[in-house]
Amino acid sequence: MAPHSSDAPVKIACAHVSKTFIQKGKQEVPVLDDVSLEVHENEFLVILGPGQCGKSTLLRIIAGLETPSTGSVTLKDKDGMAREVQGPGSDRGLVFQGYMLFPWKTVQGNVEMGPRLRGLPAAECRALARHYIDMVGLTGFEGHYPHQLSGGMKQRVGIARVYANSPEVMLLDEPFGQLDAQTRIFMEQETARIWQAEKRTVIFVTNNIDEALYLGDRIVAMEGKLPGRVQTVYEVDLPRPRDFTDMEFLRLRQQIIDASRLTL
Amino acid sequence: MSSNIANETTCAFSDRRPWTVGRVLKSRPFLYAVSLCCFFFGWDYLARTLGTEGSSSLARPAQVWTALQDLYVNELAEHKLLGHVWASTQRVLIGFSIAAVLAVPMGLFMALNRYVNAIVKPLFDLLKPMPPISWISISILWFGIDETSKVFIIVIGTFVPCLLNAYNGVRLVEPELYDVIRMLGGNRCDEILHVCFPASFPAIFAGLQISLSSAWTCVLAAELVSARSGLGYIIVQGMNLSDPAMVMGGMAVIALVAWGTTLIVTALEGYLCPWKRKIAGL
Amino acid sequence: MTAYREVRVRTPLILKILPVVSIAAFFCLWEFVVRSGIVPETMLAAPSTVAELFLVKLRETDPDGALLQQHAWVSIQEAFTGYFLSLAVGIPLGLAMGWFVVAEGLARPVFEIIRPIPPVAWIPLTIFWFGIGLPGKIFIIWLGGLVPCVINAYVGVKMTNPTLIQMARTYGASDWQIFRQLCVPSSLPMVFGALQIALACCWTNLVAAELLAADMGLGFMITMGRRLAMPEMVVLGMVMVGLTGAVIGIVIDRVEKKLLAGIRR
Repeated sequence: MAPHSSDAPVKIACAHVSKTFIQKGKQEVPVLDDVSLEVHENEFLVILGPGQCGKSTLLRIIAGLETPSTGSVTLKDKDGMAREVQGPGSDRGLVFQGYMLFPWKTVQGNVEMGPRLRGLPAAECRALARHYIDMVGLTGFEGHYPHQLSGGMKQRVGIARVYANSPEVMLLDEPFGQLDAQTRIFMEQETARIWQAEKRTVIFVTNNIDEALYLGDRIVAMEGKLPGRVQTVYEVDLPRPRDFTDMEFLRLRQQIIDASRLTL
Repeated sequence: MSSNIANETTCAFSDRRPWTVGRVLKSRPFLYAVSLCCFFFGWDYLARTLGTEGSSSLARPAQVWTALQDLYVNELAEHKLLGHVWASTQRVLIGFSIAAVLAVPMGLFMALNRYVNAIVKPLFDLLKPMPPISWISISILWFGIDETSKVFIIVIGTFVPCLLNAYNGVRLVEPELYDVIRMLGGNRCDEILHVCFPASFPAIFAGLQISLSSAWTCVLAAELVSARSGLGYIIVQGMNLSDPAMVMGGMAVIALVAWGTTLIVTALEGYLCPWKRKIAGL
Repeated sequence: MTAYREVRVRTPLILKILPVVSIAAFFCLWEFVVRSGIVPETMLAAPSTVAELFLVKLRETDPDGALLQQHAWVSIQEAFTGYFLSLAVGIPLGLAMGWFVVAEGLARPVFEIIRPIPPVAWIPLTIFWFGIGLPGKIFIIWLGGLVPCVINAYVGVKMTNPTLIQMARTYGASDWQIFRQLCVPSSLPMVFGALQIALACCWTNLVAAELLAADMGLGFMITMGRRLAMPEMVVLGMVMVGLTGAVIGIVIDRVEKKLLAGIRR
């Protein structure tokens, strides 16, 4: 067996995270119920679940954009010290489902944003941005505004923007949900390529089983209804680059489909 | 665009069809020409038939043109036509600048701080429903009939749209953009600088456009009530002299100048907000 | 993205108190500034004086020749006649301009010529044409309300989802059917938006028209206040104009919400 990522030390851990939203001031909606999971260093973890199962909320809690009602998220920083997550920070980078690019900034400006905010010198920002724009294959589009780009290009900018901020953990919230099927497969291949070029700890949220199997080292399947709970964790031990028609790939795919059918 | 992702770019198509009689008759340029001809000939016809010699209440287009030429060459109350145009434009520019400088930061401030909002908004709501023109009388009581009272009216008239749009521009910002800034490691200051300001820019410009047309209404009303110069004065003089050609000449110049200033602001907006998509409309 | 968002449940008490404090402070300051003589009484009237005059004007016609409610009634009459006329002309015109190429081609140039002229500038001409009676003022108010009606109806039709129009075409719908069944309903939110904007325009132009050419009405009362050097009358007139405008605005807002309940969910 190849050296597995789960041998690496734990990078980020959620312990008994629950979240309840209050709707219209009174009605309580439990969204997450006692979710615990661990992500290892440089591991590609995929959270898989159908729509409305609280997986995006879990990611937002890890990003620090929401606070958990109970439980905690701990992140091990560069010195190896584990500390609890308090609010968002540049050590975790989130790629949004709706792209969320700054419409008034060019591609270059969008990618530069993170380094700029951290106060790096302008020349360094520009060099960083150019490097990551090149990495996602958008060289030549630096001067374009987001509304001039297609969906796939926009999300490349979103990914480059997060990479340029060199976070320790990358969080992707259904990043390809709005793309057409072909572009989506292409972007999945690109994501795998980019991740292998510069390894990071990644948490990737998706509702697509193929996408999960193609990208993930490990897949956390959520239950298909609220409140969100962890159903099963699958280890995906296939060599990269993966093949969508590989026998083992298809077997795992069927296994996940069978298991999720029980809960739907 | 040639690159490995050229398949992701979208193209706009326009079809070419041969010109037929039916298509020419339904084409915009032709209809516009018909419309303009009808407008001017209809106007001329009405003016000729309605107006008996001497006591006409509607001037013919040619008469308006002559009146404008006359105003351009001869002085009316110490100003030629361009002098009057400049007098009005000056008032609009001064009042408009004062209002914009006061109202836009105030609107932004109200949107950003709940406490400022709680103090200012009720006062603003109290004064908002009073049409700016109803302030003319009190401004004459306060400032007399010189420049100050006219500028005051314009400030009142342009303040409300400037402030409201700046306020709404900030409040309608996509909230997830704030998340992006926080996620990239920015603080509250960065949120304001990188999200609030640029995001509210188009709304502020829309507010400026509305204020500008409001400013022209205000300056005219103020000049109609009391003035010794300006386009409103030309109109009032025309009324006092029972000279419809002069009144309509004044109106034509106002239309032209107001249209020109709107164009300038639109051009400025296009220059300052290159990211804004063009939206179809009038 | 989850559909649920945490809602901030309680607002701090101070945020509820501050508006009241702010309004109270405004009136106290106003009263104080006038009473103490910082602003001379010939320039501004104290709120208490204005309130007093309000009660007096309900019963006495002096010095401007009519009771307060008569002024208000005349103004409301003019404003509503002009308002409804501008709705009746502007909205169908705008809708037609948005859908029928011929209507747009013929109406738009004329509209673009008339649009930049502030309605106020028409006042002298209307005095030539109609004198200073009701029709002239209604004409001014009508012009003021017309422009926003046309623009909003036009934009509303133009914003109809083109895919829906194509769908209707595949069902073999005629131009007129698409206009009736699709463009008009989908432009309704914009058209209702025009109701408010047009009302505000009408109300502003009403005051302008009455300032210059009237013998009754709230705008006339303001002018008389200035001529008679009675700041309390000017302020009373302004307050009444503001108040009446606000009340009508709220009523229209209510009506709009009721009518639109089915469209905006």
